[in-house]
Formats: sequence, structure tokens, C-alpha cells
Amino acid sequence: MFKKMYLWTILIVLLLSLVCITNATTPKDALVIGANTEIFITNDPGVSFEVLPNAIVQNIYAKLVSVVVKDKQFITIPGLAESWEVAPDGKTWTFHLRKGLVFADGDPLKADAVVYSFQRVLKLQKSPCWLFSDVLGLTEESITAPDDYTVKIVTNGAPSNVVLTMVGNTLSGVLNPRIVKEHEIDGDMGQAWLTDHSAGAGPYVLEEWDRKIKVVLKANENYWKGAPEIKTVILQDIPEPTDQLLLLKKGDIDIAWDLTAEQANSLKGSTDVSIVTTPGQSDEYVGMNAGWGPFKDVRVRQAVKYAIDYNAIIDKVMTGFAINNQQFLPVGYFGYVENNPYYQDIEKAKALMAEAGYADGFDVELVTNTTERRETEAVVIQENLAKIGIRATINLMQASQMYAKFREQGLQMIVAGWGVDYPDADALANPFANHRVKQLAWRCAWLDDYAADLTEAAAKEINEDRRFQMYQDLTNYWHIYGPFAMMYQPIEFWGVRNEVKNYDKAAEGYSVHFDLTEVGK
Amino acid sequence: MKLGAYILKRIFLMVIVMFGVATIVFFITHVIPADPVGAILGGNAPIERVDAMRRQLGLDKPITLQFIDYIKGIVHADFGISLKSSRPVLKDIINYFPATIELAIASMIFAVLVGVVLGVFSAIYRNKSIDHFSRVFSILGVSMPVFWLGLLLLLLFYYHLDLLPGGGRNSLFIFPPRITGLLLLDSIIAGDWTAFWDGLSHIILPAFVLGYASAASIARIMRASMLDILKQDFIRTAKSKGLSKRVVIYRHALKNALIPVVTIIGLSFGSLLSGAVLTETIFSWPGLGRYIVNALLVLDYPAVTGGTLFIAFIYSLANLVVDISYAVLDPRMRV
Repeated sequence: MFKKMYLWTILIVLLLSLVCITNATTPKDALVIGANTEIFITNDPGVSFEVLPNAIVQNIYAKLVSVVVKDKQFITIPGLAESWEVAPDGKTWTFHLRKGLVFADGDPLKADAVVYSFQRVLKLQKSPCWLFSDVLGLTEESITAPDDYTVKIVTNGAPSNVVLTMVGNTLSGVLNPRIVKEHEIDGDMGQAWLTDHSAGAGPYVLEEWDRKIKVVLKANENYWKGAPEIKTVILQDIPEPTDQLLLLKKGDIDIAWDLTAEQANSLKGSTDVSIVTTPGQSDEYVGMNAGWGPFKDVRVRQAVKYAIDYNAIIDKVMTGFAINNQQFLPVGYFGYVENNPYYQDIEKAKALMAEAGYADGFDVELVTNTTERRETEAVVIQENLAKIGIRATINLMQASQMYAKFREQGLQMIVAGWGVDYPDADALANPFANHRVKQLAWRCAWLDDYAADLTEAAAKEINEDRRFQMYQDLTNYWHIYGPFAMMYQPIEFWGVRNEVKNYDKAAEGYSVHFDLTEVGK
Repeated sequence: MKLGAYILKRIFLMVIVMFGVATIVFFITHVIPADPVGAILGGNAPIERVDAMRRQLGLDKPITLQFIDYIKGIVHADFGISLKSSRPVLKDIINYFPATIELAIASMIFAVLVGVVLGVFSAIYRNKSIDHFSRVFSILGVSMPVFWLGLLLLLLFYYHLDLLPGGGRNSLFIFPPRITGLLLLDSIIAGDWTAFWDGLSHIILPAFVLGYASAASIARIMRASMLDILKQDFIRTAKSKGLSKRVVIYRHALKNALIPVVTIIGLSFGSLLSGAVLTETIFSWPGLGRYIVNALLVLDYPAVTGGTLFIAFIYSLANLVVDISYAVLDPRMRV
């Protein structure tokens, strides 16, 4: 009997050795990115509104202009449009298209395609639509093509930076109307088909999206700037960061997208892998409900801002992957000037508390959502607040539950973050300072009309110097009176194999700018 | 009761179970104090957009009306549209289910082979080294966290020994044929042996990790059952007839000792289907478990209810088959 068992064992071992594989590095003309692709919903530029999918969609659809980073500032450079001008009214924009442009399939790309694509965004009314309808005030009638190479749009008078960053945004990707119409089902304007197909003129074509397995991009040989060096880009679904780390170290993937800060730090000193970073397009904040009890008093809000140990959060919780930036404007944005007035000063904070009549402190509920990072941040804040007598009870909630209460001004204190919708100061000033748009300032019951007026005026100001100054004034006012203690601006980071060249340029300014044509091997 | 009537009764009971599951899952997902629309739109979305989407999805209707609509849909095999993917839930389930069932079957094969062999040998060689090994193997199997075991095996067999791949159903630059969605089966049908061996190498670790706990349970039950049978009179009779040890064990003891194991196999299959979430995450396996859990995280009601109902259906079906096979084998069960 044992003899038979041994025979079976040998047979199984032989079978196993047959299927055993050896791993090779990825091909030279292919880039394999390991990422959790769970967030992918669609690859339609008129529908996509999530950060990672947007970065990919940006590489499939060409836009009139491109938003890039130069000298650490976002600037706009020509794209499909070689030039543009704005009429003296500040509302009518004319874009002049290059001659001889073609889509990936060889169809000519002319002004009618741009008009179709922009109008399609407004007709679909999906997540990114408000950027066109609300921020720029566009209507279907306000987008026209006087001739094959001219696109005219009439806005609500939004500042030039807002208009240009929007025209360079993912939602402004130009689609081939012929292909889209061919795949229309029940008047969906090709929405279902474009979920996992593409009809663009960007550097890449979406070849395949095999859900929870991979997204495959192939180089567009007809790309107007010339076909990219990397011929195939594969976004491989690897939900677990530890797996991404192992595959990266072994060379089975070129880039690991979702490493934890600890894992990234563990790669320091590696000879095969580097860490590439860029300032993130978001803010992490502590919000106080200015309509609730002690937080009604500006001195208490200031005391909280002086109680927080910003360096400890940046160095210990974020292990250095964060920037001390205490204003709502991220680094590199129009209007950004380094301005960090707060630091931990317990004595000053205590004095402010006493002045406000809260020398003995008070009890408060500190809410955050159930992620490891936020939980740790909340614990640090709780400890900091205890030093000035504020007894915070941490309440962890699911993000959706937390935001539902927050939207109704139902929280006393919150630790959360805000991602940028488009790279202009207005995209941050509005939520953080203008209660009328019913976003963060309103959720924190900070109904300050001076801040709201200044935000609205700055959004309409077309003189850039005056607009710049307005944001300085707003920031200084907001620092004093606002209900937010800004903890930091996160730093995005990736683990990148050393064979991959120029990934830092490709990802500089992610997620606003993500250009895979920069990458080589 | 005749066999036909018995089967009909079991199917009727299964329908009641399915209705119960649908009701419970629906109300659990709808009464929890969380907002699915907010989860999908994210923290930036203004309240107007949240309200508009809630109306658009019919989530502002009274819960009873939503429930009636939901049950009507199920009767027509329509689980609704996923709030997240905007695709019919059934289409998503059909997309992800083959990966899950393939992994579950592979794990089951592993669990039954290892569990039965270990169980039988540890019973025959009671308190010998193989019995001790089986005991340690079983205790480890039921006590080791799947997540930890999976990562450890990846670290050893993929990272250090370079023997097995690091996750997924197949290598990136190998393109298996697609017929049924079961990668190994499809590769055999198409005669694509490169894809087959590649697929097989990918399924070894996840099947081991997922099936380990079941193998351990089967080994313990098999051992106990075998020991019980070996004490029976008919075994003594068989031995005294002069039959060889092999014939006594395989022909007489094993057949009888396997009956309780069949029950465990039916139950284990259900847990392999529903317990695959962690294994699927560690091994980047594109299965239904991950689909349901991720749907749960964004409160995608239709996907959660549809997915859960589907798993419950498969589970009930597996147990129905076990019950019917019992009834066929043992008429007393029909009473």
C-alpha cells in the first residue's frame, strides 16, 4: 500500500515540476503596472470621474490643450488646438485646430468631432458634467464649429486658467463621432460600448478591459505627436499591496501603484527599484463645526489649530509622504504661496481656550472613516487636543455614513480629505471657503459671507494679478477665521523598476497630468 | 414517500430558503444607516447630486415598494443594475462566477484527496507517525488565517523559490481560449496546453490555501468515521473470512466510512464558494467573492443582494444534490 502511495507522490511531484514556471522581466516595449483596478467603472471620458481610471483615459483621448507641470507650476500647452484666443468680453473662446489630425483608426479629426464630444458630455449628464455646465456655464448651443478647424465656446466668463484646465481635463477628450454613433444602443451615445472600447486620438488605444484582470492599452501609431515608445501598457489587477511589492521586486511588474508608506520606505536603498513621488492633488484636514457649541468661538478653533502636532502627523503617520501645507491650495496651483502660520504651541492654545471661557476644556465627538491612516490621525489629534483640555471621543464610521451626516452639518469634528476636481484655485476655494456651494464650509456651518464673496469675486476676476492677490487675502482671512486645521498635502508615490525611464516626468502632477508617452525603457 | 415526491419537497423547501435569503439580505442592506449613493459619488459630491441620483435609482421610494420591485425582478431572473458598474448584476455574476467555481472545484478536489487519504491512513495507523502528522496538519489547517498562509506561501514558492507564479489566473502574456470561462477546461477543449499548464501553475497555491481548512476537517471526520467502521462486526467477519487487509479496508470499510464525509463535502463546497474572498484578494483571482465584498464596501445594493442570492442558490443546489444522493443511497432518508 505504501509502495503505491510513494508512486503517487512521485507522480504528483513530477506533475508539479512540469507546471513550475520561471519568471522573466517584462518585455522592453511593454509597461506593466500593478494596481488595484477595483475603482474602474468605465473608460468613457464623458462618464469617468475616478482618479486612476481618469489617468488611463487621459492617455486614450486627446484634448484641445494639455495641462502639464513646468517649474513645479501647472501650465497649459497646445494640444489638438495649436492656438486659441479669448474675446475682450472674457467669455468667447476660439480654438484653432491643427491641420491633418486623425483619430487612431485613421478618420480625420475636425472641429465637428470636438463639438460632438463636448455636447455629448452635457447630454449625458454624468458625474463630470457639472464641470462644463456649472463651472464654465456651457450649454449645447454655446459650443459651435464655424469651420472645420475652429471651435468656439461661450462660457460664463470663468477665468482663463479655469477654462483652459477644464478644456485640458479628461472630460474634454475628443471622440470619433462616427464610431460612437455606430455603437449607440437606445440613444446611450455609445456609453455602454465605450465602457471597454475606445474611439479617440490619444497616444494609446484601449485594446481590452478584462474586469478584475487587466486593462490593456496599445500604442496609437497615428498619434499626432508620433507613436509612443512603449507599445503596450498593461494595468494588471493586483488588489493586495504586499503582492504588488513582491511582483515589483521580482520584475514581473514595472510599477507598483498601491504600495503602503512602510513598503515604499522598505525599498529605499534597493538597487532594482526606486520610489517616484509627486505632490498629491488633495488636502487632509480637521474640520470643526462652527455652528456647534465651543467651536462657534473663533478662539477655540484657533486653539485647536495651535494644539495639533503637524510634524508628528507628517513624519510618523505619513512617514514623510506628505507636505506641510496649511492652506487649501495645493503646491503648484495658481495663487499658491507657501503660507503655514500654525505649529504646535500648547501654551498659546491654552491661553486662547481660557480667553474663550473654556479653560477646563470640553467634550467633543471626533468622527473619521474606517481607514488605517485616518484612524491613526484621529488618535494623534485626540492626544493633541487632550493637552489643552479638549476630551475627544473618536467615532469611526463608514465613509458613506460619515459624509451623509457631514452633508447635513451633523458632525462636531471630522478628520477627512478633499480631492481636487480640476487644477485651479477655484476648485479649492469654493469648497473650503464658500458656504453657498454647500460643500465643506457649509458642512462645517461656517457661513461667512466675506469669505464667500471673496471666493466668488476671485472666480470671476480675469485680471491675473488681481486674482492672485485675492487668493492671498482669502487664504489669510481663512487661516484666522476658517473652521479647518489643514494637516498636510499628501505625496503620491510609486515603486518603479529602474529599467523604466522618465516615469517621474510622466507622473509629475498626477492625477491632473499623467502622460505615458514620457515613459521609456 | 416516493423519490419523486421527496425531490419535489426538497425543491419546494429550497424555494422557501431562497425567498428567506432574498428577504434577509434585502432588508439588512437597506436598513443599515449608510448611504449607497453617497458611497458611490464620494465625499466631494454636493447634496443636490446625491439627492438627484437617489431619485434616479428609485431609492427614495418606500422600502416596501422597493422590496416588491426587487422580488418581481428576481422572479424574472433580473437582479437589477449594479449601482457601481451600471451593468446588469447578472452579467457581472456570469463574468466572475467561472473563476470562483473553478477555484472552488480545484480546492474541493485537493481537500477530498488529501483529507480522505490522510483520514484513512491515520485511522489504519492509529497513533503512528502518520496519525500524528495528520493531527498537526488538521490543527494547522483549521487555525491558520487564510490571509497569512497565502502571503507566506507566495513569499516562499513565488518570491524565494521561484517555483510558482505570483497571482492571477494566467500569465499576462499568455492568452487562454475562452469557451466556458473555466480556464483549465477551455484550454483542454481547445488543446492549448501552454495555457493549460500556465493555468494549472496559477491555481495550485490558491486551491491549496482555500482547500486546506476543508482538507483538515475532512481528514478528521474521515479518521473518526473509519475508526468507527473498523470496530464494526462486519469488518471482523470480513477479516475472519480471510480477506486481505486491502480488500477489507477499500471494499468494506472505506465505502461505509465515506457516507458522513459526503455531508461535509456538500457543506464545505458552500464555504469554499463564500469563503473565497480572502484567497481571491491575495492571489488576484477575479472571482465573485471579491465582487460581492467590493460591492458591499460601496453599498452597491443590487450587486450585494444579487451576488449573495446567487451564492446561496449554488449552496442550496449543492446540498440538494447531497440530500437526493442520500435518498437514493438510503431509503430511510425519504421518510
